[in-house]
Amino acid sequence: MSQLKIAAVLLISIVLQLSLRAVWKPLAYIDFPLVVVVYIALQRDAWQALVVGTLAGLIVDAQSGGLIGAGGFSKTLTAYIIFFGATKVNLENPLLRIPVLAAATVVDSAIYVFLHRLLGYPPGVTLMQTISYKLIATTVVGTLVLYMLDSVMSGESSQRRQFATRRRVARRSTGPLRRR
Amino acid sequence: MAVDARDANGQQKILRIWTQTFASPLQSASSKVSGATGGFFQQIWNFRGTAAENEQLKERLAQAERDLHAARLSEAENERLKSLLGLNEKSEVQSIPARVIARDPSVWFNTITINRGSSAGVAVNMPVVTGGGIVGRVITVSPWASQVMLITDEKAGAGAVVGQLGQSGALGSVRGRADLGVGVIEMRYVSGLEQVELGDYVMTTGQDGIYPPGLTVGKVVDVKKGSATQAHQILIQPGAQLDHLEEVAVLLYHPPQRSTPQQTLQNAEKPKDR
Repeated sequence: MSQLKIAAVLLISIVLQLSLRAVWKPLAYIDFPLVVVVYIALQRDAWQALVVGTLAGLIVDAQSGGLIGAGGFSKTLTAYIIFFGATKVNLENPLLRIPVLAAATVVDSAIYVFLHRLLGYPPGVTLMQTISYKLIATTVVGTLVLYMLDSVMSGESSQRRQFATRRRVARRSTGPLRRR
Repeated sequence: MAVDARDANGQQKILRIWTQTFASPLQSASSKVSGATGGFFQQIWNFRGTAAENEQLKERLAQAERDLHAARLSEAENERLKSLLGLNEKSEVQSIPARVIARDPSVWFNTITINRGSSAGVAVNMPVVTGGGIVGRVITVSPWASQVMLITDEKAGAGAVVGQLGQSGALGSVRGRADLGVGVIEMRYVSGLEQVELGDYVMTTGQDGIYPPGLTVGKVVDVKKGSATQAHQILIQPGAQLDHLEEVAVLLYHPPQRSTPQQTLQNAEKPKDR
């Protein structure tokens, strides 16, 4: 069931990414597949995050004028970095997701552009301007989308957050006892 | 680790063709919906200046009719002169109308997707134009859709001349530049000795083997004059409205085949096989 939900969410994010630029150009700066990748990576499910990152990147690459595989690679690597971070540090706090999403956008864009430059295929837009726009758009909209994904994907993540809160409360209450 | 599987001809990437085949109906539908919604609100907005616009349009129509009459006279005269010279009128390049159904989803590149593919006779490297001028060339073809690289892309280019082909020696090539955006393209290699003025029209020369000669590229909006040893630095505003493309035409143009240059010198001795 969980896999089906992820597949559906991924499909919707890709459809949005492919269609929204025709409606209004600035909407293309929102990287919907990346938001989904970040969400799944934050759930600490490495395989799902990597597979989703690869698929999302490859499909968007196939529709864009760039190198096929560059986006797949950048999203996969971004997913792994976030997963790795999430296993070391508790990133479940909703406020912490905002800098995580911003960092993911910058890392993803940097890897994407680096790969293109490395293979002699530089993007046809100004680098800093595009990264800045992507950073703002993806972080602002992505934060809202992450909240929506929380409610859609239901139980697991909220359960995990509840357990984390309970653990924290338990630690606080048992802390002085331990000291004694 | 780029996925680089290509078709039998080695020109196109298979993954791109497949994705385009499946995504094109979806993109076509979303494009129609967004177009209809946008059009409705645009119409409401447009009511404000309708009367003034109507007057302007009437004046422009009268002017256009006068121009059309003059053009017809010129065409007739041209025909007569050509027949006198015994020149054969070349057949016009056939075109396929197409609708823009999507733009590059990654924002890093300047490509568009149109709703005509190999089933309509579109092939790789065919030129895409609008009434205003050239748009770009086809880079990927699937059965029902094609991807077009805009002329503003850094990797796009076209042979061009400032002024009329045959009358001007200001030959060069146009290409996009990342720092200029989609509104302006650059023309390079024009001799500094040639006369180039703001507002001059730039046309294709046909030397690139993609665009037929005589198509409008755009007009000159900025010139940094060169010298005898330095080329002009020319910026051109594309004639086609590349930011607001909705309908385009794919030209079924097959450039004339060039003969392969002879690689060996005629008098050179060939090595004997031992």
